[in-house]
Amino acid sequence: MIAAILRAQILSMRLAGRRGAVFSAITGAIWYGFWCFIAFTIGLFAAHADAAALRLWIPTSLLLVCLYWQFVPILSASMGSGLDLRKLLIYPAPHGRLFFVEILLRLTTALEMVLVVAGGIAGLLRNPALGGLAAAPRLAPILIFVLFNLLLASGTRSLLERLLSHRRLREVLIFFLLIALTAPRILFASGFASVGVGPFDGIIHFPALPWAAAGHAAMGGSLLRAIAVLTGWTLAAAWFGRSQFERNLRFDSTAAQSSTAGPEAAPRGSWSERLYRLPSHLFRDPLAAIVEKELRSLARTPRFRMVFVMGFSFGVMVWLPAVMGGQAARHSTIEQNFLVVVCAYAMTLLGQVTYWNCFGFDRSAVQFYFAAPQPISQTFLGKNLAYLIFIYLEVLILVFITMLLRVDWRPAQLAETLAVVGICSLYMMAFGNISSVRYPRALTPERVSQGGASSRFQALVFILYPLALAPVFLSYLARYAFDSQTVFVVALTFSAVGGAVLYWQAVESAVKTLGERREQILADLSQGEGPVATG
Amino acid sequence: MSSPAILVRGLKKSYGSVAAVDGVDLEVARGSFFGFLGPNGAGKSTTIRILTGLAPADSGSVEILGLRFPDDELEIKKRIGLVPDESLLFDRLTGAEFLEFVGRMYGLERSTARDRAAALLDLLELANGRKIIGEYSKGMRKRVAMAAALIHHPELFLMDEPFEGVDAVGARLMKDILLDQVRRGATVFLTSHVLEVVERLCDRVAIINHGAIVASGTLGELRSGGESLEDVFVRVLGAERQLERLDWL
Repeated sequence: MIAAILRAQILSMRLAGRRGAVFSAITGAIWYGFWCFIAFTIGLFAAHADAAALRLWIPTSLLLVCLYWQFVPILSASMGSGLDLRKLLIYPAPHGRLFFVEILLRLTTALEMVLVVAGGIAGLLRNPALGGLAAAPRLAPILIFVLFNLLLASGTRSLLERLLSHRRLREVLIFFLLIALTAPRILFASGFASVGVGPFDGIIHFPALPWAAAGHAAMGGSLLRAIAVLTGWTLAAAWFGRSQFERNLRFDSTAAQSSTAGPEAAPRGSWSERLYRLPSHLFRDPLAAIVEKELRSLARTPRFRMVFVMGFSFGVMVWLPAVMGGQAARHSTIEQNFLVVVCAYAMTLLGQVTYWNCFGFDRSAVQFYFAAPQPISQTFLGKNLAYLIFIYLEVLILVFITMLLRVDWRPAQLAETLAVVGICSLYMMAFGNISSVRYPRALTPERVSQGGASSRFQALVFILYPLALAPVFLSYLARYAFDSQTVFVVALTFSAVGGAVLYWQAVESAVKTLGERREQILADLSQGEGPVATG
Repeated sequence: MSSPAILVRGLKKSYGSVAAVDGVDLEVARGSFFGFLGPNGAGKSTTIRILTGLAPADSGSVEILGLRFPDDELEIKKRIGLVPDESLLFDRLTGAEFLEFVGRMYGLERSTARDRAAALLDLLELANGRKIIGEYSKGMRKRVAMAAALIHHPELFLMDEPFEGVDAVGARLMKDILLDQVRRGATVFLTSHVLEVVERLCDRVAIINHGAIVASGTLGELRSGGESLEDVFVRVLGAERQLERLDWL
């Protein structure tokens, strides 16, 4: 049965084509090559570190591995591949076997951590302080630690997937997750650190915790006790993972997302309805109709709403500690450009649900734009304008938040932020329009954990972001180098002109590509996934 | 003499080495209710996709309402109403919002689009206009698609399985609307696997198989003796075969 599921998935994936497979292989090689390098570096350190360093760093590293494994998939809003239970539940498959496949798939969310752990173990086996290969049995608990992480990640994924399916709840949940994750940084930055890191020492070294138990055993502590502790934690994680998986099997996501609590559409005269109608006062049809449709659709798309909330909350949470770190930090570059930095972050985050794959949520309905009697360039313009409205709404919310947090900024900085957001957006939308027709991917609006662009394109995004931000970055560099606001304004103006030219060229190119690849794009956007839903 | 609603000559379209449409010639007179039939994978949907501009033809010529594809593509699109096999509905809009959007995309004034949307929702018994389309049943989705095809009062309807998944009452309502449109001078080009429906509605039919037209004419011309359309269909396709029993079934 497991073989049948995996075969069905492989056969489903072959539709991506040879070009896609080559691209995926290249980007995969770059990503995992990077992590192999990290693993190698850790291995080198582990092979030559003295006992005192190892005593601190083995449990600390394992704790970091655990945190990465459990939280990075959540923070990146892409929880990796998982079984699409809606497709598999109709078959008489034993739940235990499905759970086993689900556990194996958890490797996909943090394969890099497996590499890191393997690198670390290889290094420790070469360390004379631990006795070389003779230390192998003492490192066995680390393997149980890996299993513990797999099971815990499975339970966390199932739980979050279920919770995030509930309307409204998902935005609140994401907000509290972010606060929980960044609170320690804020506490440290705001001076709480002066009371010491005692509590964190306890978390790292408390022997009843899995990373500490594995670390103590590696350093010559009781192997039996470590195995007992880790087995206990692993059994608990297995119970958690299995029970959450079972609950997901019985969970009716359609019912959770239904609008029985009240009408989905806002009544006429409400503030949101007035916002949706705003483009009709500024533009003519069909452009206004497209912008209005985008505003309504995106605002009701769970995936978009979650990313929108992350856009103004996560950016502040990440960068706020940098401006709360005492007098020195208050005059740092980050503090001086706080608003620009958090807005740029929001802009990049919104990209995955807007400009990088602008037809993703339309899915097969994209054919309406092909069948409607208006130039397709209007569709790109409409979608880009909708993105601009949302990003400037983010800026407005961020301005309000920074005012509440009493982050010091002047009106000139606000004007600068508005200009920078507009200019960067021009470049990003230009690249995004091309990527939308080159690498389209159908997105499920209800799935909050699905990545925006196709997997092969996501790696390319890491190159495109710096490219898109480069003109503005160079303008800042010019201001710093010449210490002149005039030079900065001139450089920014050149960036804006360059962005506008690039944008129009990109729209023309995207329209041309759309004409040539119309059928392929429609097929890509209508395509369903196999039994495994990719993240 | 007015030009035909659809005039297709030597239409060809291949996917790799497979010819989906292989030299189709077709003429559909204005004001007719035309049935386009064929087994699964015969090339019906591909033909409709070419007629609506969703897929380019490899060769051949297409004229719609006297206008040439692709030269007059935008003008043609303004004058046709489309109900495709796949959904072209935006799931996160309500029925009313979607219809207003479609109306505006076809050049209607906003207030006109809104009024027509409300009237069509009423006509097609989709009164709960504040529910988003993603929560509609399959039949309701087809009704909205039908309403969207009607909102700009087109001259030609291109419909791919429009009654699929629609309950008997809804299907009856949709058929009545289409017949009324034909009486008023519109043309309907319809594909359906339900031959009884085609038999009752259409005045002319064409049967496509392996990408080529194998029979066309009025129902009377195609029938021999007391044949039903189903008999004609099976005979023309040469698809009559004895049921073979499987030992294990």
